[in-house]
Amino acid sequence: MTETRAPEAHRPHTARLVAVVLAVLLALLVAVLATRDAATTRLSRSPLVGRQAPDLTADVLLNGDDFVLADERGRFVLVNFFATWCVPCQAEHDDLVRFANTHAVAGDASVVSVVFSDDEPAVRRFFERRGGDWPVLRDRDGRIATTWGVAGVPESYLIAPDGRVVAKIVGGVTFEFLEEQLARLRGVR
Amino acid sequence: MRRLGWLALLVVLGVALVVGTTDRDEPTEAERVDRIGRSVMCPTCAGQSVADSQTPAAVNVRREIARRVAEGETDGEIRDALAATFGERIILTPPRSGVAGLVWVLPVAALVGALAALALVFRRWRAEPDAVATPDDVAAAERARRAAHVPPPDPS
Repeated sequence: MTETRAPEAHRPHTARLVAVVLAVLLALLVAVLATRDAATTRLSRSPLVGRQAPDLTADVLLNGDDFVLADERGRFVLVNFFATWCVPCQAEHDDLVRFANTHAVAGDASVVSVVFSDDEPAVRRFFERRGGDWPVLRDRDGRIATTWGVAGVPESYLIAPDGRVVAKIVGGVTFEFLEEQLARLRGVR
Repeated sequence: MRRLGWLALLVVLGVALVVGTTDRDEPTEAERVDRIGRSVMCPTCAGQSVADSQTPAAVNVRREIARRVAEGETDGEIRDALAATFGERIILTPPRSGVAGLVWVLPVAALVGALAALALVFRRWRAEPDAVATPDDVAAAERARRAAHVPPPDPS
């Protein structure tokens, strides 16, 4: 009789132990998720980072005639892929305007946008309503997006003054985030 | 006669393999685009190839594949170009080099090892039967038969 009772006597202890372990694991998971950076804006790995930026010579839809990325050497360029139907793209737009305006006088950084799977009238209306005087490029067959490895929008690439891709940013950007990136890349913390 | 049967079986298998693995017709450009598209992951969707997805990114990648096929690039060159911009993870077939290359090597190695082990075991079984009746076994069987009044087995 005692042989059959022994395992039953241990059962509550085992259940308590399993419950404690599960609770600890759950607490760790919550802690990790609570302390990590928001998934909306993050630096992403890309084979392009560290390499010379792909050629970006495109037909300009708004704010200019022809655009050649190589002509922008000597300053940082934020290549921003966006669509007007994309909510995070709408959310980041004011920050892009602020970033472009802040660096317009010094000329040390600029923005160029590439339309991703969107129609031109919608893009025109969007810029008329929300502002932004940087070049907006057409990408009718999606070739620019594919050449840059764009999976979705918004995605942005930061190009250094020497023409190298120094960061790929997935998700909507903020003014502060972009300034932090510039400070980091300039070696200023 | 028995060896001839095995030989015939091998010939049939060999011919079937050659016929089965040889492309009889050159694929069209559309077939190549589809084939390559099935080996490239949709950049924005989980577990779908660009051939199966209608997301803007997948459509863009399909267009890029079609453009490169039309320009005469090989399947490998196209996959390499996509991996160079989207990263290796976009390719659904594992690379043949590096640690991931083990995916290709291990099944073959396991198959060869299993076949070698089977051959070894069969050979051992044939060389030495594992159950040999001792004189005691024979005597015990004889006693049991007599006790049950069973006639001895016919030697023929």
